[in-house]
Amino acid sequence: MEKDFSRRSFIKGMAVGTMAGYFGAAGLSSTVFKSQLLPKEKLNPVDIGQVKSLKIKVISETSWYDNNVFLNDVKKAGGLLVNQYEIPWTREGVKAGYLGDNLGGFSTYIEAELMDGKVIKILQDTGWNPHWMDKRFKEEGIAEKLARKEIDFQVITHEHIDHFFGIESTTRHYPDIPMYVPKGFYQDGFDLLKGKSFPKANVKNDHPHKGKVTVLDSKQVNVLYPGIALMTFDVPIILRVFGEQAFVFNVKDKGIVLVTGCCHQGIISYMEEVRKKILGGQKIYAVQGGLHISPFEDWDPQYDDLIMAFNKYGVQKIGCNHCTGFITAEKMIKAGLPVVKGTARHMSKRDIYLGNGDELVIA
Amino acid sequence: MSANALDTLWLEERSLTNLIKQPAIRGILDTLLAFAVFMGLWWVFMDPRGVLRWYTPQYGYMYIRWLLIVAIWQAYIFNFWPFKLTWMEKTHPLKKGLILIAINFVVTGLLVWVFYYNIFGRLAIPYFSWPELKKTGLSDFFSREYSSLAILMMAAIASWLSPIWPAAFENYPWHNLKQPAKGFTVFAVTFLLTTYAYLIFMHPHYRVLFYPWQEYTAAFPWWYDSFHTLSGNFNVGWIMCATVSVWLLETIMERYPFRLVKSQPWRGLTGFAFILLLAWILFFTFTFMQDMVWGPSVEGAKRLMAPDWRYLHNGELAVILLTVALALYFYFDNWPRKFSTEVNLLIRVAITIIGAWGIHWLYYKYSPQLLGTQSGYSHPQQFPMAPVILFINVMLYHNWFMDGWPGKRIKQDLKVA
Repeated sequence: MEKDFSRRSFIKGMAVGTMAGYFGAAGLSSTVFKSQLLPKEKLNPVDIGQVKSLKIKVISETSWYDNNVFLNDVKKAGGLLVNQYEIPWTREGVKAGYLGDNLGGFSTYIEAELMDGKVIKILQDTGWNPHWMDKRFKEEGIAEKLARKEIDFQVITHEHIDHFFGIESTTRHYPDIPMYVPKGFYQDGFDLLKGKSFPKANVKNDHPHKGKVTVLDSKQVNVLYPGIALMTFDVPIILRVFGEQAFVFNVKDKGIVLVTGCCHQGIISYMEEVRKKILGGQKIYAVQGGLHISPFEDWDPQYDDLIMAFNKYGVQKIGCNHCTGFITAEKMIKAGLPVVKGTARHMSKRDIYLGNGDELVIA
Repeated sequence: MSANALDTLWLEERSLTNLIKQPAIRGILDTLLAFAVFMGLWWVFMDPRGVLRWYTPQYGYMYIRWLLIVAIWQAYIFNFWPFKLTWMEKTHPLKKGLILIAINFVVTGLLVWVFYYNIFGRLAIPYFSWPELKKTGLSDFFSREYSSLAILMMAAIASWLSPIWPAAFENYPWHNLKQPAKGFTVFAVTFLLTTYAYLIFMHPHYRVLFYPWQEYTAAFPWWYDSFHTLSGNFNVGWIMCATVSVWLLETIMERYPFRLVKSQPWRGLTGFAFILLLAWILFFTFTFMQDMVWGPSVEGAKRLMAPDWRYLHNGELAVILLTVALALYFYFDNWPRKFSTEVNLLIRVAITIIGAWGIHWLYYKYSPQLLGTQSGYSHPQQFPMAPVILFINVMLYHNWFMDGWPGKRIKQDLKVA
């Protein structure tokens, strides 16, 4: 015990310390101070124009067929932070797979009719397993459109295996297709585009890309055509991927339509950004694509936060699929969210949401 | 510790002599040595590019957290029992360190694989057991991740409550017991309290984690209305701030001011209250800082904007703060010491804050290259707490188990308590 201690000095010390601590730190975070101190965000929403109508066709939303096989590949390799180019993905002997191959892929075909009647044709992502993607591209007429160079450009939403590793399914038909990738693409991704193989991950590209690649960053809204824009998000993603971009369409008389690959940025964050940065962003009419909530039918209480908050945004059509997960779709429907049903064809497992070959038309 | 303490630890009575005389050089070399050992351990056990790759992430993170708790048990609760204190003083630090670290690893392994996976998880709550979860039909990967998360959440609470009894209550009212009776008593009490606290603060997280919600077995997350998330990360955040508060008080703050209280249990109760107060100050300050940098969080959002990630990041920021405080305490002799207690303390706090800012910057700039993590602040599958706590573990091993050798060594003429 210190010799000079007294009850008075202790109380004094405690009082001074507590007051100083409170006002110096916690006090600042009280609601009153916070509202006064937080910097006001300057909003300068971009007018991206309008399109007349939109057709969104799911080419493939089935990225892999057996969750356990996929997750075992990840586990054996060392978990969710391991580089996707270093993981030996299972390609045969999977009962639920396509010809025994566990890999499928994600790709969406979009037709946006401009106000002058011109139709812009977009291929979003290119899947994973080239055999599967070749089949789907043929079945949906994408291969022909690519061969005839009818497709205006391709957008790679992010570098993930199931959205990008099937690149040769696109480039075999149309090697110089103009391409947009998000900032954050690793050199491995550019190398794969140019024809490099990654034997450990069982991925190759025998048809090097020869066209223009545009890297889009997150500093601004990237307007491609009137009513068609891309927004990029600087997000770190599992399996050593960084950055994702997603579409914003403004459909006349309907409102904003968001089309995503996986939406790793989070659908709520995405909608919040659209509200702030896009003129008319307060009225989000529809959302389509993967929402990356329970891709492995896994769960986290944070995902319930998301579902409970979703209703506040007044979205009228949710054409989700892919990494949204069945559990999420079930919970969304239970929460009264307008999830668009699919038809469960072409190896899509359930009709709870849009599946392979299903179409969402906004007109 | 104050002169009239009820119970003192061997660590407090141990007297060390400096083998490297120049304090700044010694401090820098010690820090670099600890960092090198940390990097080696990270590469072998955790790094996604390394040997065992346990940082999947929850599985490796769980071990890191329990290694810390077991070290606290060894040094603070069992006072190094079953080893005699004469052995602690006379044995070469390298030999002693290797034996104590080996025990630390073995006890952690037994806890996880025997107690949690095969007793508690099998006979009481299945989500504590990887094999039991797998039996329910969950994937092998998520069975391991979910059970690891539960086990490490228990460790988060233990890291707060376990050291409070020796540090604040000086083991009152069991201070007169001999080891191992004292150790087992304090261990039992703190472990029991940890279990109760877990059931209140973390178990509701698991009601919501599984589908459908487990409404018959766990309460609804009671913090939801006030803190806008169902995730237990809210509790992880403030509890980590509380853990850090314990150690800030124990190290750079020298148990000031609650050490001024004359008698137990009042000193302990005051200490406990002060720890909670400091924890909430840290928690709200960090929340506010994040709001200032990134804007207010948004309910339902993910990553940077998610309320639950912000709370978790509060804990991460607190642990970074602690790393600097411990380095200052262990490696730089808790500099400065020449002023009054209050001035010394304020200078140390200032150094800790500045150092934490530096480490924060260094971590987010260089961890992808050094640790194999992904760049960016908010990644749903990585936790800065994992490498930072492993570095803390290395510092504890070095200073508690090895007397800070080769920078320092125990004085051989020390009187054994």
